[in-house]
Amino acid sequence: MSAAVATLLRRALGPLRRLPGGPRPAADVPRAGSHGAGLLYPGHIPTSPLQKALLAAGSAGMALYNPYRHDMVAVLGETTGHHTLKVLRDQMRRDPEGAQILQERPRISLSTLDLGKLQSLPEGSLGHEYLRFLHVNRVSPDTRAATRFVDDEELAYVIQRYREVHDMLHTLLGMPTNILGEIVVKWFEAVQTGLPMCILGALFGPIRLSAQSLQVLVSELIPWAVQNGRRAPCVLNLYYERRWDQPLGALREELGITTPPMHVRGMA
Amino acid sequence: MAAPRSCGLWSYYGRGWSRAMRGCQLPGLPSSWPGGPLAARLLSQEKPATETHFGFETVSEEEKQGKVYQVFESVAKKYDLMNDAMSLGVHRVWKDLLLWKMNPLPGTQLLDVAGGTGDIAFRFLNYVQAQHQRKRKRQLKAQQNLSWEEIAKKYQNQEDSLGGSHVIVCDINKEMLKAGKQKAFAQGHKAGLTWVLGDAEELPFDDDKFDIYTIAFGIRNVTHIDRALQEAHRVLKPGGRFLCLEFSQVNNPLISRLYDLYSFQVIPVLGEVIAGDWKSYQYLVESIRRFPSQEEFKDMIEDGGFHKVAYESLTSGIVAIHSGFKL
Repeated sequence: MSAAVATLLRRALGPLRRLPGGPRPAADVPRAGSHGAGLLYPGHIPTSPLQKALLAAGSAGMALYNPYRHDMVAVLGETTGHHTLKVLRDQMRRDPEGAQILQERPRISLSTLDLGKLQSLPEGSLGHEYLRFLHVNRVSPDTRAATRFVDDEELAYVIQRYREVHDMLHTLLGMPTNILGEIVVKWFEAVQTGLPMCILGALFGPIRLSAQSLQVLVSELIPWAVQNGRRAPCVLNLYYERRWDQPLGALREELGITTPPMHVRGMA
Repeated sequence: MAAPRSCGLWSYYGRGWSRAMRGCQLPGLPSSWPGGPLAARLLSQEKPATETHFGFETVSEEEKQGKVYQVFESVAKKYDLMNDAMSLGVHRVWKDLLLWKMNPLPGTQLLDVAGGTGDIAFRFLNYVQAQHQRKRKRQLKAQQNLSWEEIAKKYQNQEDSLGGSHVIVCDINKEMLKAGKQKAFAQGHKAGLTWVLGDAEELPFDDDKFDIYTIAFGIRNVTHIDRALQEAHRVLKPGGRFLCLEFSQVNNPLISRLYDLYSFQVIPVLGEVIAGDWKSYQYLVESIRRFPSQEEFKDMIEDGGFHKVAYESLTSGIVAIHSGFKL
C-alpha cells in the first residue's frame, strides 16, 4: 500500500522537480526562512498572516497598476483563496472524476503533454483545439507560476490545477487571450469557483477597457458567461488528460456551454 | 523571527581565519600546505571545503559567491527602485553622509568597490565638481586685478571640471555594472568615470594606487571579508582612507524589535510585489543579521592593517560608517 502511494507521489512530484532548461531563475536559488524544515511542497514559502495581508494588498494594487504582472494575480489568488480552496477541494472529493484528479495529481505542462499525439488527433477534438489555441495565441502552459504561498499541500495542488485548467477554459469558451477574453473567462471562473481573486479580477478588470468594449462586455458577454458558469458543473472536476480525443462540441454540450453571443476577435 | 546572533561563529570565520593565515598552522589542512605570508591567498585547488553562511542558510564557500551573483543579477534592474521603497528614501541620506564624511578634494582618485549602480560614484563626481567650481570661483575672485588676456587663458585651460578627480567603479556582477552604466548615461556623467569588472577579494589593480577606497552595502556579500580588507589595504596609497558604509547592529532594543518586524515581514513582500523576487530580499535581510557588529567589524578592519579605525552609527545603528587609514 505504502509503495503504491510512494510511486504515486513520485509521479506527481516528478514534473514539479523538473526545471526548465537554461539558467535557473534567481528566485529559486536562495532558500527562504525555514530552509527545508516546514516546507510543505517544493517552492513553498511559509508566510505569517501579516505577510499574507500585505501581499494580498500589494499584489492587488500592483496588478491594477500594471496588468502585465500576471504573477501578481497569482499571488493575490494564493493569499486570499484559502477558504474557497477548501470548499473547492471538498467539492472535488465528492465528485468521482474530481477525486481521481486529487489522488493522481496530473499536471498540464509541456513536459507532461504528448504534443505529437495531440497533434495527430482529429480536428474538432479537445486536444487538437487546445493545441490550436496555444499556437494562435502564442502561449504555453509552462508560463504558469508555481504555487508558493498556500500553506496546505493539497490546496496548493488545487490552485495549481485551477491555473492549468484556465487555458482549457479559454478553449471551451472560445475566448482569446486579449483583455476582453480574459475578463469573460474571469467572470466564468468567478461564478464557478468563487475565488476572491476571480471576483476581484472580474469586477476591476474592466476598468482598463474602452467604452465600446465595456458596453459589449456588460450587455452581452458577461450575462452569457454568468449563465454558462452557473449551468456548468465544476470545471475542476474534469479529467482533461483523459478527454483529449473527445470532440469539443460534445464536451461543450456535456457542460452546457453555448456558443458565445458574438465573435470576440482573436480566435475563431 | 529574530535572528540568532552568530558572533561566536563569525569570529571564527572572520578574525580567527585571518589571524591563522598569517603564517600559522591551519588545523585540518594537508601537510603539503606552503604556509608563510605567501599563503595569504589560497590557491583554489587546495581550498578546504569549509562552510559559510548565505543568509540563514549554510553553504559551501564556493557556492556562496555564485548564489550572491545570482541574487544581484536578478535584482539589478529594480535595485534603485527597491532601495527607495525599502528604506523610504533614507538610503540617499546615508550615502550623502558618507560623502560628507569623505569630503574629497578635487584630484582624488577613488575606488568604489561593489559600486554596482554607481550611487557613491555619482555623488563623488558631483561633490568634487562642486568643490572644484568653488575653488575656481575663489581663485578668479582673488585675481580680479589680472589683465583680460590672463583671464582668457584661464578659461581656455578650464577643460577639466573635475580638477583631476577620477572614480573607478568596480563590481563583480555584470548586470549591476550594466545598470550603473545606463544610469550614468541618463544622468550625463561621462568624464572621470571608469567601470571595471572585478572581485573585491582579488582586485585587478596595482598596489598603492588610490586615495580613497569605499565599499557601500557590498562587503557583507563578500565570502571572505578579511581578504577584501587586505585587498583594500593593498591598493590604497600610504595615507589613503578606507570607508565602509554597511548595515550594522541596532543599539536600541525597541527600535531593534521594530526593525526586525519590518525587515522580515515587510521587505520580502515589497520584493515580491515590486520586483517579483521574494527570495533575494529574504536573503538581503538575513545577510544583514549575519554581519558582525560595529565593534567586531572595527577589529576586523584593524586586522587588515588599518590605523585610526573609527565608526559612526547612523539611524540608531541600522547602518554604520567605518573608517580607517593606511599609514
